[in-house]
Amino acid sequence: MTPEVEWKKVSGELLILSLVEARPRHGYEISKLIEQRSNGAVRFYVASLYPLLYRLEKRGWIQGRWVEKSGQRRRRYYRLTIVGQKVLASQRRGWQAFVEAVNRITEAEHA
Amino acid sequence: MLDWREEIARRLSSLKLDRTRENEIIEELSQHLDDRYCELISGGAADDDARRDVLMELNFEDLVAQERSRLVRETSREPGAPEKSGHGFFASLGQDMRYALRQLQRNPGFAVVAIITLGLGIGASTAIFSVIDNVLLEPFPYKDAGHIIYPRVHGATQGPDEGRQGFSSDELLDFLRQNHSLDGVIGTTDDPVLYKHGAGVEWLYGADMTPGSFEFFGMPALYGRVFQRADYQLGAPPVFVLRYKAWKARFNGDANVLNKVFVLNGTARTLIGIMPPRFGWYDADVWIPKTPHPGMSIGFAGLPERWFILGRLKPRVSLAQASADLNGIVNPLAKLRPQDYPAQFQMFAVPFGHSGGEHLESTMYTALGAVGLLLLIACVNVANLMLARATSREKEFALRAVLGAGQARLARLLLVESLVLAIGGAALGVLIAWGGLKFIVATMPPDSIPAESVIGLNALVLAFTLVLAVLTPLIFGLAPALQAARRDLNDPLRDMGRGVIGGFRTARLRDAAVVVEVAVSLTLLVGAGLLMHSFLAMREVNLGLQADHIFKTTLLLPPDRYKTAEQVSAFVRPVLARVNAIPGVTDAAESSSVPPNNSRDTKIEISGKPPEKQWRAQVQNVSETYFQALRIPFETGRGFTETEINDARKVAVVNRKFVSTYLSGEDPIGRRVRLLELESVADLLPSFEIVGVVDDVSNQGAPGYGRGGLQAPIEPQVWIPYTVTGSGERSLVVRSVQTPMSVMEEVQQAVWATDPGVALMYPDALDQMISRRWYAGPRFALLMMMIFGGVGLILVTVGVYSVLAYTTAQRTHEIGVRMALGAERANVARLVIVEGVRLVLAGVGVGLVVSLLLGRAVEAELWPGVKPYDPVTLASTVVLLLATGVLACWIPASRAARVDPMVALRYE
Repeated sequence: MTPEVEWKKVSGELLILSLVEARPRHGYEISKLIEQRSNGAVRFYVASLYPLLYRLEKRGWIQGRWVEKSGQRRRRYYRLTIVGQKVLASQRRGWQAFVEAVNRITEAEHA
Repeated sequence: MLDWREEIARRLSSLKLDRTRENEIIEELSQHLDDRYCELISGGAADDDARRDVLMELNFEDLVAQERSRLVRETSREPGAPEKSGHGFFASLGQDMRYALRQLQRNPGFAVVAIITLGLGIGASTAIFSVIDNVLLEPFPYKDAGHIIYPRVHGATQGPDEGRQGFSSDELLDFLRQNHSLDGVIGTTDDPVLYKHGAGVEWLYGADMTPGSFEFFGMPALYGRVFQRADYQLGAPPVFVLRYKAWKARFNGDANVLNKVFVLNGTARTLIGIMPPRFGWYDADVWIPKTPHPGMSIGFAGLPERWFILGRLKPRVSLAQASADLNGIVNPLAKLRPQDYPAQFQMFAVPFGHSGGEHLESTMYTALGAVGLLLLIACVNVANLMLARATSREKEFALRAVLGAGQARLARLLLVESLVLAIGGAALGVLIAWGGLKFIVATMPPDSIPAESVIGLNALVLAFTLVLAVLTPLIFGLAPALQAARRDLNDPLRDMGRGVIGGFRTARLRDAAVVVEVAVSLTLLVGAGLLMHSFLAMREVNLGLQADHIFKTTLLLPPDRYKTAEQVSAFVRPVLARVNAIPGVTDAAESSSVPPNNSRDTKIEISGKPPEKQWRAQVQNVSETYFQALRIPFETGRGFTETEINDARKVAVVNRKFVSTYLSGEDPIGRRVRLLELESVADLLPSFEIVGVVDDVSNQGAPGYGRGGLQAPIEPQVWIPYTVTGSGERSLVVRSVQTPMSVMEEVQQAVWATDPGVALMYPDALDQMISRRWYAGPRFALLMMMIFGGVGLILVTVGVYSVLAYTTAQRTHEIGVRMALGAERANVARLVIVEGVRLVLAGVGVGLVVSLLLGRAVEAELWPGVKPYDPVTLASTVVLLLATGVLACWIPASRAARVDPMVALRYE
């Protein structure tokens, strides 16, 4: 497995949970947002995005629902569940703690 | 717009998804691809390029997808799915097994280490259990063997296993007629058999049996028949029954010997039956019917006849009741013949089933405990290996969970993998046990197990192995399975907190397991070291003679023709002359026994000394060449002259112990010693003039029942000319320049040339006999401990390795951070090794304490002078364990040192 795949798999959960926190989004939208907000540094293709979505859905952190809007094909929108909110909060704290720890270490190293 | 559905469906087809679910996925993915295609086109891409790019992004060929497609096949057939539930447990079990096999094939190193570890544990347990089953649980193939007892006269001053077990005909008859507690009483007595064969006679080990003996044992003959009542009637044609082993060895298993007549001890007897292989009562070659008659009769070698008695407890009669019953019977007899009973005594009914390996019993159960511990350690090791492996399989488990595998299902898959490993371990274990048993049987001290027991794998033993194979995965597979099942619930913690928070309690448990296994291994190794020390000390003991190049044999003289001293010496003298003439023979001597066996023991009196009740000495009858043949050095005085022997003078040689015990500070030469108890069986005036003193020669007898053996003190001993008495055993001791057994044939010819009616008994090389009877027991114990210690050491290696491999894998990112921040590779390796050594040291500490505590218990088993806290043994064991520990750390340490910080940090 390439490092990039590994990286995405681990942090991907945090990204997806964050993106569906404000409002429900469909898969393509999620992938576009990740690409745009990272200035193209991070990209999720269809083959890696959807397994991740299905996994989060199976855990009950997000919920997918088919939504039909007039004049459009139906699309599957994913929204954050109550459990997902807690997980997201916890993952954010963990991530921040880690980043701070690394910062403290690296600052000390360069001091 | 293109239709992607077909392409997606094709790529998903191998996953065999549920139809509805598959359609949903196809719909969702095809929309995504549409959007992506439009995006690319609007960005200016050509149709073909856009299409190729989109399809490339649908690339399920990367690793995640590969794993997914393989796993989905399993998970999609989950038993939880309602429409599949009818498919049966075993079908899916078979599927799980095949999957487990594929998994193990993918990681053969892991599988091999795990199977060898389990194989060692299961194999050792199976081997020891089969010895226990064959020797202690079911040694005798006899009817209702659990209720068979034998009587023993136990004196108040005797040890728990001591006492008289041979009884006179009068005692036997009284037991038979007067007991109320036994169903059937039988007696057996030694009857060495001379069997006419070729130019002379050969010796068979015979046993006389009282009426009803075969019915008592409940075993029919393999061919022919056993004794019937009629065979015991006065004037009945003489018959005998042959043992299977003797039939094979002497008659090549020829069925035509049945109903043939053989001359045994001068009587023509018909062979009426051949017993099945496992019938080996009294370890005899032939069984002869004999009815006990009242009064004293003389048995083998002029000694009083003694019967070994067996009885079967009546239903609901306890051992205590039977003992009381027997007490009541012998009390009048004890008044009639007080010399046969200690001053204070009690009769005991001793369970016969236990006579199998009573001195082996505690050893074997200790060994079973030890191998049980080893098996447990093996299980813990494999559990740790599986945990370490599970870390690297997290992705696989997570993906399975995504695609619908429940936690129970994952746990079950891991348990099935454990089961497959255990079955492999059990198969290897049976092989190890099979080889181990051959080894155990070959090294076991002779006579330590009953002739009837056959040590080998049997149905019960294999069932035991099967139970182990099913139970052990529950021990070693459950922890990883539960962890796998739990992992998914803890997912949020896992991703961020790996190695920081994760499984503090299980880490403690793993460390504790290593500490315990190091401690157990150390204890076993210290035991092995102490036994080795004892064994070496024993080999250092000076026997007082040169045992190499000595051939020895006991002579079986027909009692009717050899009653007086003259008759015996008229035979022995020409035999010695003929043996001396054999090329290569340097010395030939006659002796009543061969050291380190003990000789007959008698009360003594010494001239000029007030008689003392407790003065006793061993008495050995020898020819003048005896001391020279065995190279026994004289301290003072001289040996016997030829004239003294020929004239049967009353002269004696004593050992140094005799002088230091009874004549300390006095000149022994010229003193006279009276041998009081020779009077009852011998035809002599028992006062002998001491003419010489020799160095002490080992005379403690063979070890067993807590007595004898080379660590026991040497007893005072007196040698007298063999020509002064007609009774007692006769042996030949022959020193030759060639290997001892090579003269056997010529010695036999020399004996037969003098009297064709005399046979050789127990022909042997003296050093071989000593090795088997004196050294084999301690050597066996030492070998067992060394094997256990060795297996323990292997398991410790695997144990330390597996725990460190696991924690190192867990800490990959931490190591990465350290290295990114400038830690040297050597430092990282040291970090791992220090962790391992810390665990080993803790185990060594615990093990030392346990060894010292246990040491007090085993002190009695050790050679006098070898201390349980022997510093050399302890220090070398500790060094060995530490070296092993460092070795086991090496692979995980060097793996940690190779961690690429960039890769490791990307984990987070």
